[in-house]
Amino acid sequence: MKLGGAAVALVADGTLTKRAFAGRKDRKPKPGNILLIYTDQQHIDTIAAGGCRHVRTPALDRLKRSSVSFAQSYSANPVCSPARSAVFTGRTSCETSVYKNGIPIRSDIPNIGQWFSQHTDYETFYAGKWHLPKTYTSKIPGFKVINTGIGGFGYLCDTAMSRACEGFIENRSKSKPFLLVASFMQPHDICEWLRLNMNNPGKLRYPELAGELPELPENFQFDKNEPQSTGKRRSGNEPFKGNWDKEHWQYYRWSYYRHIEHLDAEIGRILSALEDRGYINDTLIVLTSDHGEGMGHHQMVRKSSFYDEAAKVPLLFSWPGHIVEDKADTVHLTSGMDIMPTLCDYASINSPPRMRGVTLRPILEGGSGQSRDCIVSEGNTNTGRMVRTREFKYIKYVNDPVEQLFNMEDDPGETRNLAADLHYAAALSEHRKLLAGHEASLDVPRDIPHTEFWRTRA
Amino acid sequence: MAKRQRTIVGENLTPTLLTELGAVDKFPRTPANFQPNGNWMNKYRIWTCHGYRESGNENVGSLRITRRVDSKKTFVLEVRQEIVQTGGLTNVIEGTIKCRYDQLASPIEWNLLSQFSGPSGKIISELGFRNHGVAAESVTHTAGDWCLFEAVQRLAFDKKSSLSFDLLEGMSLSKLGHRLFYRRTYPMKTDGQSIHLHCFGQLGSGILPYEYWLDNRHRLLAVISMNKAYVLDQ
Repeated sequence: MKLGGAAVALVADGTLTKRAFAGRKDRKPKPGNILLIYTDQQHIDTIAAGGCRHVRTPALDRLKRSSVSFAQSYSANPVCSPARSAVFTGRTSCETSVYKNGIPIRSDIPNIGQWFSQHTDYETFYAGKWHLPKTYTSKIPGFKVINTGIGGFGYLCDTAMSRACEGFIENRSKSKPFLLVASFMQPHDICEWLRLNMNNPGKLRYPELAGELPELPENFQFDKNEPQSTGKRRSGNEPFKGNWDKEHWQYYRWSYYRHIEHLDAEIGRILSALEDRGYINDTLIVLTSDHGEGMGHHQMVRKSSFYDEAAKVPLLFSWPGHIVEDKADTVHLTSGMDIMPTLCDYASINSPPRMRGVTLRPILEGGSGQSRDCIVSEGNTNTGRMVRTREFKYIKYVNDPVEQLFNMEDDPGETRNLAADLHYAAALSEHRKLLAGHEASLDVPRDIPHTEFWRTRA
Repeated sequence: MAKRQRTIVGENLTPTLLTELGAVDKFPRTPANFQPNGNWMNKYRIWTCHGYRESGNENVGSLRITRRVDSKKTFVLEVRQEIVQTGGLTNVIEGTIKCRYDQLASPIEWNLLSQFSGPSGKIISELGFRNHGVAAESVTHTAGDWCLFEAVQRLAFDKKSSLSFDLLEGMSLSKLGHRLFYRRTYPMKTDGQSIHLHCFGQLGSGILPYEYWLDNRHRLLAVISMNKAYVLDQ
């Protein structure tokens, strides 16, 4: 039996030495391989090299330093399955029919595995969480599944999954290019953490952590006049059921960062395998997440909110020698829907028709790129929309009279709703029009709930 | 259709809670000749909790650790971990870790093989990976996670028992800044008798807190970290 393997040596600083890597010097417009690292519920500000001082993330740091990372990167729908459908098709979640969790992508829209299988010489592989509709499955259209993961338990699931990816990379013949999706469960285990820590214990479980807990965010308080669905979601979550105090909120934030570090180590395993095998300089690496995490901002936890903490996601692209290194792009608005057209661009193929995302390649390679007016994200069960322009964020829910408008330049914490302020009436009107224009361009099946509500706004 | 009612567990897992949730019937009695620094074998079931009392909690694998003394200054741990994934895919990690006979069971050299098999049991050769490592002489204060299952059995039940180290998880992932410390005694009933367990805690980067639960004879009965538990079966 053929087996990959790596000889490693543990050195005094606790790191592992790796085999020296001989990088390629020739430039090619098309990467030898593509690795899409997909995380679950990762807040955008969870990378030490990006300024997060509460985590140790050597793998993400390394990736970030070789990447363009987008600071204005939004999930197309901050819920698992809908977000995934948009990433893997480049279409809005409602267009794909995945307006809530556990629904398959509509059959006439190809996913990236199907499209690449048909139009490129990349072999397409998938490892880990899918959730379209089954969370873990050995059958994914367009992909050969090399690892299925384990339902619900990221701590064990991701370790086995990354080990499978490690073995895959080590054993693979270099003769054929691959597209590999490594889809992690972490840091989604914070959901289990919430259920296992719902009841406020009244004292810090580990006194040893006193003095180490992260502070509460500046926008911890919330607006009492929010849309009903936002308030309802908050009050149904564990912190309110369990009557959390400040220290328990802080412990939750501390615990979330440990989940991030676990994820980082498993990502590091795959990156090290790429490096050991000599693939790292010829592999386009993309990292993103399906949605973010509330982390106590606005006293929210988990996902399904249009506040930046849940709606924003990390988005990094790395290809040494081709993509600008260590650049934080704070200008361009991006969506999860941009990944499909960007990868098609790098694979030198046309995107499927009716792409809603755009290729980011010009930006990644140092050009000025497209300049979008706005991006639109959809909400769970098709009951909400978020319109983000450079200056403002507009949020609207079905059958809720309360709209939200935030000036994201003056108030990035989204603490002052300007929608009822006459001074911003023109901005509000402009954003309503942008949403209407967007809705008019979509191809949403009529059986998706609330389709008419959004269509009539056009 | 009526929505299924589920009760949130709400609090951290403990041996008593594991019993309530059906993860533990009774812990095995420690053999009379058990010596933490001798030859022994502990086999753990790996149980996971979804956070609800009624559903979603399951056994997903096992971990077997066998300690074999091979000299006055060293011993060997034979490790076999099996994780069963969705669709009948199984990951088995098997091999040996040669350790120093010190407080941390510091790894000296290890040979581990990770293999995957499909539902039929056939090995998927494309996913296999061999991990051979050697710790340099200068390495101190590094512990493997599996090695800690051994080391914790040799610690005194005393608040002064604390260790600082860097963790080498799965003998492959480096996680810095860890500490292991004695927490408390803990009364519980098992197998019709009242016993006192002893608990050590572990904090550090890249992990949720670990708790090691031992009986009076220093045998490790359970290891709990957030939503997963290693439960001694034999």
